[in-house]
Amino acid sequence: MANVDPVTTEIIRNAFVSIAKDMNATLIRSAFTPVIYEGKDCSVALIDPEGEVLGQSLGLPLFLGNLEICVKLIAEQHGWDYFKEGDVFYMNDSYMTGTHLNDSTIIMPIFWGGERVGFAASRAHWLDVGAKDPGTPVDSHEIYQEGMRWGPTRLYDGGEPREDVIDLLRRNSRFGDATVGDMNAQVAAGRTGEKRMQALFDRFGADTIWSARDEIFRQTEAREREAVSALPDGVYTAEGFLDNDGLGSDPLPVKLALTVTGDAMSVDLDGSASQAKGPVNCGITQTIAAARVAYKLLICSDVSPNGGSFRPLEVLAPEGTIFSAQEPAACGWYFSSLGLLIDLVIKALAPIMPDKAAGAHYGDSMVITVAGADPRNDDQFYLMIEPTTGGWGASRGRDGQSSLINNVNGSFKDIPVEIFESKYPLRLTRYGILPDSGGAGEWRGGNGTYREYLVEADSDLFLWFERSVTTGWGLFDGGAGSKPVVVVERPDEEEVLELLKVNGVKVPKGTVIRSHTGGGGGYGKARERDPAAVREDLIDGYVTRESARDVYGVEFDAEMNVDTEATARLRSG
Amino acid sequence: MTQYRVSADIGGTFTDIVIEPSDGPVFVGKVPTTPDNPAVGVVNGIRELVPNLEDISFFVHGTTVGLNAFLERRGERVLLITTAGLGDAYTIARGNRHTLYELRYQKPEQLVPRRDVHEVRGRLAWDGSEIEPLNAADFQPIVDKVKAEGINAVAVCFVHAYAHPQHELAAREILAAALPGVSISLSHEIAREWREYERASSAVMNAYVAPVVERYLKSLRGELHDLGMQATVHIMQSNGGVSTAETAQKHPVFTLLSGPVGGTIAGTALAASGGRKNLLCVDMGGTSFDLSLVMDGHANATLETELEGLPLLMSIIDIETIGTGGGSIAWMENGAMRVGPHSAGSIPGPACYGRGGTQPTVTDANLFLGRLGEKSLLGGDMSLDKQAATTAIESLAPEAGLDSTAFAEGVLSISNAAMADAMRTITISQGVDPREFALVAFGGAGPMAAAFLAEELDIREVVVPRFPGTFSAWGMLQTDLRHDFTQSFFRAAATVVGADLDAVFEELEANGREAILSEGVAEADISFQRSADMRYLGQEYSINVLLDSNDTEAIGKAFHAAHERRYGHSSPGAPVEFVNLRVAAFGALKKYGNEDPGASGDAAMLGERQVVFAGKTLTTPIVARDSLSTDYKGAGPLVIEEQSATTVVPPGWHVTIDKLGSIVLTREEG
Repeated sequence: MANVDPVTTEIIRNAFVSIAKDMNATLIRSAFTPVIYEGKDCSVALIDPEGEVLGQSLGLPLFLGNLEICVKLIAEQHGWDYFKEGDVFYMNDSYMTGTHLNDSTIIMPIFWGGERVGFAASRAHWLDVGAKDPGTPVDSHEIYQEGMRWGPTRLYDGGEPREDVIDLLRRNSRFGDATVGDMNAQVAAGRTGEKRMQALFDRFGADTIWSARDEIFRQTEAREREAVSALPDGVYTAEGFLDNDGLGSDPLPVKLALTVTGDAMSVDLDGSASQAKGPVNCGITQTIAAARVAYKLLICSDVSPNGGSFRPLEVLAPEGTIFSAQEPAACGWYFSSLGLLIDLVIKALAPIMPDKAAGAHYGDSMVITVAGADPRNDDQFYLMIEPTTGGWGASRGRDGQSSLINNVNGSFKDIPVEIFESKYPLRLTRYGILPDSGGAGEWRGGNGTYREYLVEADSDLFLWFERSVTTGWGLFDGGAGSKPVVVVERPDEEEVLELLKVNGVKVPKGTVIRSHTGGGGGYGKARERDPAAVREDLIDGYVTRESARDVYGVEFDAEMNVDTEATARLRSG
Repeated sequence: MTQYRVSADIGGTFTDIVIEPSDGPVFVGKVPTTPDNPAVGVVNGIRELVPNLEDISFFVHGTTVGLNAFLERRGERVLLITTAGLGDAYTIARGNRHTLYELRYQKPEQLVPRRDVHEVRGRLAWDGSEIEPLNAADFQPIVDKVKAEGINAVAVCFVHAYAHPQHELAAREILAAALPGVSISLSHEIAREWREYERASSAVMNAYVAPVVERYLKSLRGELHDLGMQATVHIMQSNGGVSTAETAQKHPVFTLLSGPVGGTIAGTALAASGGRKNLLCVDMGGTSFDLSLVMDGHANATLETELEGLPLLMSIIDIETIGTGGGSIAWMENGAMRVGPHSAGSIPGPACYGRGGTQPTVTDANLFLGRLGEKSLLGGDMSLDKQAATTAIESLAPEAGLDSTAFAEGVLSISNAAMADAMRTITISQGVDPREFALVAFGGAGPMAAAFLAEELDIREVVVPRFPGTFSAWGMLQTDLRHDFTQSFFRAAATVVGADLDAVFEELEANGREAILSEGVAEADISFQRSADMRYLGQEYSINVLLDSNDTEAIGKAFHAAHERRYGHSSPGAPVEFVNLRVAAFGALKKYGNEDPGASGDAAMLGERQVVFAGKTLTTPIVARDSLSTDYKGAGPLVIEEQSATTVVPPGWHVTIDKLGSIVLTREEG
């Protein structure tokens, strides 16, 4: 192996990351569906011949560091010689890729001078892959209800497209053309990676590139081990609950023990819920990815991940749990447990990383779906699906954000009122930040969101709201955020429904749907919050006068100035 | 008698001035900016160059006054009025995260705090039908607050006003009557596009900078007038056209990025006269560089941008800023060598500035390697400390295991490769290949790095225009009056005939004609560019398609082609809809267009320097830019120096001077 100077190493390191960015730009530019080009529900990676990451674009957080596992799984199944020049593989099997069947992984081997020098891989959310209901059903109990399931399958064989296979993909989606369009966008991203990787080899040659790679991995691993070494050894635990499995089960525990030993860290999920009947399971690949996201939020957050990343981290999930799903477990809403897992890793580490940790956030995507016939549009079928924002946890020196999308989401943006009302027979009557919903603290948790819908044509309502059992907890005596709830008032019906998860309830014209999402946890004691900050919150309407007095112990005079004496009395009492 | 067309580009540090006389070649000047009152610097600069201000026939300028007021958050306190029930849409700011790996993420800070967002009743449906009339009584407490707290600017954004502005117009009547002297910004007058948060943000930005820009323009007009200038004061707009200062005061947000766009417009002028239609324009200064694209002769524009995370809906030249420049610092980490993203800025600046900087920067490396001379900056007015650069480099090179020369060249290799990577990603997301472009390099640091960037990007031609240090100001003299008009037009393309389009366009053009005529341009010099925002049915975002006829079939084809170029695919069978119709109205401005006779005779040698290229120290001639004639033929290694920039020509590159006086570098094949 050549000995490579630090200049060449740095140029090659930047080039790996840049190749991944170019692949990502290509994918986003040519994708057909907004969930990719607008929501950025996708991720790409450039991978070396042994299945280690060379460069990755920081796309959807939950897709961090699981593409290379897919490459290794194919090699495990078929051997490394299975990959031929010009092949393109497709796979979406939840038990291999870890996520739900909509997430489609495409892998292309890259060759240079007849030699396999790496892989270009991408994953993107396809709108529909032929589940029993449009999109992702909320009441599935077997994976077969969630769409077509594919192991590693060649879409291109030695450079030739397999039209019969692509045709099968097209026929098994409610939006077949968009599916093939998004597939082509992923192939185009792979081609971009292939071209640039080959140009890099033309410039530097294999020996130099592999020596540089070894050095890059060494540097990254050294930095991360240094950061982990700085943490005190010990076992740190945390536990929380998912509300249920979507089919009416009891709360499902998520339990972790995090062990720091020298420069290594392990996350053991022993004691977490057994595989559930409802669609809240995920494959082990995705569990590893989620643990990596949590780790990345706290350790070397600014370093672009590569094969040297995550080496100090080991993830253990016993077989038969919701984190290591086996056939035929349903996986459609795989991410709810993972958002909780990420929050819990941070909670476990909070005592030894008090400056970096934050209280828990409101917790999940809080998805509302309304569907029916749109009378304004010849009674054509309409489908409105949207996640809802909520409050994030506070951290030392910083209040949590109000009405921000949850941690496992990508570049989500809410649907503007003007677009919403133009597209759907629904009116948005109220949308705002819910005062007092964030956990109190020296630093205040962010507030949750309310969104009120008036149904203007007979429709059906579907909901996936979570985290009412384990709400956004605080840290260091900070208070917890409030819990989510959805209230439905139908005309001509006495009963007001309070719901969180539901699969199709009739909502006739005139129904009002009010959703509230939870707040984030506070940080530190509420009574130690600077009274001036409480005053600002009161003026801006983030807390009410009652909670300013009762929770924060701050009293105001008639001019809205802090009454110092009364405050001192309240706080000493 | 000689008349002068004059432009001024007011930057953070320097004000660049370009003068085009009626009877001779262009000349330039550079004076320090006077931040407290930028008009002083402009006036000083002009008086040095033009004997009598009465002889100025045209004056245009670009300014960062509004932008700086925003960046430093010194704009006007703004109160925002919104639709009842929905006021928090502004504060929620669509609930998204700009960066995804930040546990302690914070949304961009809005210009209006939640306490100053107020709601009034009154509601229109998506189709413009009135659900609830505007409630005039709801304005009373707001009016009282504005008066009591001395608020000077109010923005109004009601839902669906982009297409149905009646409630916003009624609101203005109420507010104008109750609050004389308070500036009122209506969202539909700033942007006629859906998405209430983005539109509110744009209206707020307008309200926020309006009084600052107005005061500044008033002061500048007054001072120039007092000194005898009769010419109307014009200002560069973000859309690449100019407008009179008087018109600009109505919607100052349109001038927010008036400085940097000058460079791109200058690029289009080069494209128009030089035969190169595709240009990558690189404006490099001390801490960052701006990249913009000229494609097929047109400046690449966009209808939406963000400033520090806050969205702005308006027609604007698309300029990407990349955070690498001469001040980028080299450092070591776990045995790895990094350059940037930290910058020494201008204070303390690179070590060689002698202002206390000790860490090696890109500029220090250039000086150490001889690519930059100790007297190269500002025509020798600023001298550089080579010893300080050497000390900085020698302090870090051993840690990298390199000798100082290899280390210094490494700093440049890493930063050039990183800049080229960023440029390539931007071109790929625009769907173009950088190899089909010529690279136009300007700004103080651009010409030094240009050939190296071109090598990284496999670009074969580099153009260094005349007066690269004042290229943006020159661009301002090449442009015409421009005003944009938009009408929302939600129609399925299949139901639209040419006459429907003509009816709307003719009305927009009538508005355009009136605006341009009022700025003193003759009817014969007015022209229009029609365009339409279109999309496939069901898409959220539209593409702007330039139209040259009302033939709907041809328009459909143009849309599919534009979609193909932008996104890499199109669906010619799929239904298409119109969203907005737009007219850009132009008023042609007279330019003198005198040929620069250029130099004649032999190139003037300024001397020789030892310059390092690819590890070899080569004796390299230094020539004076101003002495190079169109007959000149040179080759690297070579350094070309002029007042405002240094062009470095590495071995393997040839040099010629084109008829516009630009330095053209071409790379040898193979």
